[in-house]
Amino acid sequence: MMEIAIRVQGLKKSFGSQQVLRGVDLEIPRGAITVVIGRSGTGKSVLLKHLLGLVPPDEGTIEVGGQDLWKLRESGRRDLRARFGMVFQNAALFDSMDVFENVAFPLREHSGWEEEQIGTRVREVLASVGLSSAVHKLPSELSGGMRKRAGLARALVRNPDYLLYDEPTTGLDPIMTAQIDALIRATQDQHPGLTSVVISHDMQATFRIADRIAMLHEGRVILHEDRETFRQSDHPVVRQFVEGRLDGPIRPDLS
Amino acid sequence: MIVQSVEAVGRAVREVVLGAGRYALFLVRSLFSGLFPPYRFRILTKQMYFVGVQSLSIVMITGAFTGAVFAYQSNYAFSKFGAETMIGATVTLALVRELGPVLSGLMVNGRVGSAMAAELGTMRVTEQIDALESMAINPLQYLVAPRILASIVMVPALTALFDTIGAFTSYWVSTRVLQVSTGAYVARTQWYVDVDDLVGGLFKSAVFGLILSSVGCYYGYYARGGAEGVGSATTKAVVAAGVAILIVDYFLTLFIAPLGVG
Ligand SMILES: Nc1ncnc2c1ncn2[C@@H]1O[C@H](COP(=O)(O)OP(=O)(O)OP(=O)(O)O)[C@@H](O)[C@H]1O
Ligand SMILES: [Mg+2]
Repeated sequence: MMEIAIRVQGLKKSFGSQQVLRGVDLEIPRGAITVVIGRSGTGKSVLLKHLLGLVPPDEGTIEVGGQDLWKLRESGRRDLRARFGMVFQNAALFDSMDVFENVAFPLREHSGWEEEQIGTRVREVLASVGLSSAVHKLPSELSGGMRKRAGLARALVRNPDYLLYDEPTTGLDPIMTAQIDALIRATQDQHPGLTSVVISHDMQATFRIADRIAMLHEGRVILHEDRETFRQSDHPVVRQFVEGRLDGPIRPDLS
Repeated sequence: MIVQSVEAVGRAVREVVLGAGRYALFLVRSLFSGLFPPYRFRILTKQMYFVGVQSLSIVMITGAFTGAVFAYQSNYAFSKFGAETMIGATVTLALVRELGPVLSGLMVNGRVGSAMAAELGTMRVTEQIDALESMAINPLQYLVAPRILASIVMVPALTALFDTIGAFTSYWVSTRVLQVSTGAYVARTQWYVDVDDLVGGLFKSAVFGLILSSVGCYYGYYARGGAEGVGSATTKAVVAAGVAILIVDYFLTLFIAPLGVG
């Protein structure tokens, strides 16, 4: 078994009367891509924010590199967070800054590098996500896909130990999707110690990039296996989701 | 019926107490975070420009017309018992002790407090604040502390400007329009108005700067639910800070008086 990078145990979270996470157990190995799939609204984004310690859990623990996030002081959590890169579902670019400044931001804050070094690194990362032509555009002047790639560049720029992607390809055209998937895979393969967690509901992409796949359903992880085992699973909920069928244990909530 | 209304009152009281506690914690943590490096000089400068320089015109216009209209009204009152020469002292005292700090505070609140609430609220609902945190940056230190500090510095400066312009328009209206004797106007003003009056007023305005910026940031920081949430946070911030300025003004006036300042 590989080393566990992030361990989630008995995680519960409610918003008001709405129970979102109802006891999530998940062990994320170091040096691999774990894809978390699940229906819209099951709490995938909420789970991801818990991994970063952005939201306090109601119950349960989250350990990163063996450290219990909520036993640390705020400053300790912050130090740990500095080793993460996060791609937000809606990019969450700073709209007062252009693309260059957005991507340079984490470096300016944490690297202590000279301006020249920062510029070189930012251009390099922007080129790798295909944004060389939009360096000095403001977020409001970008298309959805470009915003997403700028968010990706910002997460990658410091070579983090943990990379969290919240639906990195939702809303992109098929070619761009394939490109981003390839980039996620390549980033992983170039950095053996990197731990990636990708949230997705695109099954094709999931099978393309995942080392391991976990499925979140009704507030719990119902199956967490390596890619091939997952693909062959005969769990009825998983089968229905993977094949995208209407009939099955998941009731489409159209009312 | 009665049980229900008692419950409703109880809930409302609970909300207010919880809200006040959360605000106090927010304020303390923001100010505390500003004590430690990295110091955000660039953001501070930008905010000082936004709060101070960009409020110049509204503060100057308000100050000018307040001084002018107050001279008229004082003249109306004083002429009833032939004490027109007291206009200068009265208007200037009222300006530096009360009208300058409060009116500048309220005007700047309308412009700056609302903008801070809207800006931070937008950053909250578009996850930009989460993004800051995900990059291991304390948003209170990065966003809130510089805004509060800039306001604490710039609102008194604006108030001093308000006072000066108001005093000048009052002088102009009194001596040129209402034909009060220039010598008597100036002499009485110099005799009755003290530096302490000015200092007390500027101290108050620093507190108003703290209130309007921290309340604006607070409502923005905890905004929820899209554009609508940002809109309502903005409105609430302006109203809450405006009311707070007036209430705090009363108590500050009580507390400052025995100190011999203001
Ligand atoms: N800050 C919050 N306050 C209240 N409710 C929230 C909050 N964040 C998430 N929720 C609720 O939690 C549930 C799960 O949200 P989440 O964003 O994690 O879904 P998701 O699985 O990421 O869906 P999608 O695939 O559409 O992004 C939703 O019903 C949402 O309304
Ligand atoms: Mg989501």
